[in-house]
Amino acid sequence: MSVVACFKVVPDDTSVRVIGGKVETNVPVKISTYDKNAIEEAVRVKEKLGWKAIGVTVGNTDRKSIRDALSMGLDEVVAISAGYLDVAGTAMALAETIRGISPKLVIMAETTTDSSTSALPPYLAQILGYSLVSYVRSLSIQDSSITAERSVGDVEVVEAPLPAVVSVTGEINTPRTPSVKQIMESAKKPVKQINFSSQPLAELVEVQPFVTTRKKVIIEKPMNEAVDQLINYLKGEGVL
Amino acid sequence: MRVLVVSEDPDFFRSSSWVAQQLGGEILGIHPSESRYVDKVFVPKLEGAWELPLAEFASTLKPDVVIAGGTKRDRTFAFSLAGKLRSSVASDVIDAKLEGSSLMVRRPVYSGVGIATLRLKLPAVITVQKNTMEPNLLKGEVERVDLPRSVITLKERKTAQQSVSLDKAKIIVSVGRGMGSKDNVKYAEELARLLNGAVGGSRPVTAEMGWLPEDRQIGLSGNKVRPQLYIALGISGQPQHIAGIRDSKVIVAVNKDKNAPISENCDYLVVGDAIEFCKVMIGRLSK
Repeated sequence: MSVVACFKVVPDDTSVRVIGGKVETNVPVKISTYDKNAIEEAVRVKEKLGWKAIGVTVGNTDRKSIRDALSMGLDEVVAISAGYLDVAGTAMALAETIRGISPKLVIMAETTTDSSTSALPPYLAQILGYSLVSYVRSLSIQDSSITAERSVGDVEVVEAPLPAVVSVTGEINTPRTPSVKQIMESAKKPVKQINFSSQPLAELVEVQPFVTTRKKVIIEKPMNEAVDQLINYLKGEGVL
Repeated sequence: MRVLVVSEDPDFFRSSSWVAQQLGGEILGIHPSESRYVDKVFVPKLEGAWELPLAEFASTLKPDVVIAGGTKRDRTFAFSLAGKLRSSVASDVIDAKLEGSSLMVRRPVYSGVGIATLRLKLPAVITVQKNTMEPNLLKGEVERVDLPRSVITLKERKTAQQSVSLDKAKIIVSVGRGMGSKDNVKYAEELARLLNGAVGGSRPVTAEMGWLPEDRQIGLSGNKVRPQLYIALGISGQPQHIAGIRDSKVIVAVNKDKNAPISENCDYLVVGDAIEFCKVMIGRLSK
């Protein structure tokens, strides 16, 4: 039995900013924020049920990020190198590898912090022919099904047959910080490299800075005066 | 050219219909109630776990372009349909136009720092952001449909109880770690009550520390809000949070650290303690 955690290496969104009229994405990379929740959940499944936990990443196969994922407790990682891939291409790349693994469960984040399309989990589930539960904030696994709480505005409790693709929200867990020992051991774990390319159905034409000009007025004075000044500003803006 | 408009939500259905009408062609709709924003509307009963069965039904309509709303269930439906159709996709689209046999769309990326332009091959499935446009009235012919059964069983649905919905609030008072403790959230609640606004929070205080219910989370993975006035109390302003408040008209931040990231993304920064700010502000508004 195995569980797959999908993750993506992305430009650190806390460092992406507009420099000289351009969106500068040539910044340090990291595992996309909520993908760590997906990895954590897969490792918890491994710890609880003894399943093998396999990571799959597509796109940038940065070694350090992959080691981070392995340090958290994944048994191995399949790293699929690819240039620009759209959602369809990413789903195809993942599906090819995941079919070879034939897991019971595929766990991924509901969204990444770079493109934030939220389309990959449902798209992948369709290509694999697995059932799908999206926006999951708590998960339990039975013999041939899962029970999950979904956060979709309302909270829904649903039961779905395995194999399944599950997309998780940041609420599902708190990703662990690996110990020094785990970090050391991660160097010995297997990483399988694959290459993939496909013609995108969605071609990225350009990325322009999204400028919302904020006034950035700093009010630094005793609180009574600061609040009076703020109230005046807000009345001037017509919002109070 | 056949355009299909789908949403469970009336505002999103209107917004999606307007985008569809700009493209032209035959416009079909799927919505839980009748509507004249489209030539023909299919009216299903949206019961149980309906997203996948609805995708199955929608695929039989063979659309060239699908324009769906942005609720989480809308997205789950739309991108399951996209997987079925092996189509191109884009979400949170701001505007869309046809160019030859492609659909050109613009959408925010990198937590809202950039706007990407994408050229989508047809068929294309997109979800759109809410707009305030009023579509023309069309024929609105009605056909009721029965959906296939889902493999997923809905056991329970707990409807979110929001006193003032974040979605519709004109003023939002939002709390972060800088409020210090769960007990202190009462100051923000009192301030929101006096302003007739809603209370929200950052991811740490909602999802991790439980100072507020999770459905009050504002940001990339929570609610995206667009109030007239957004007051961020003790929120440092991580990109995931900024992504959820970018469309606010006026943003006020209260923070002890005048170099916190929020200072780059607000109109007014009051440098100081958030609790003290609440107390003084409550005093002024109670007069």
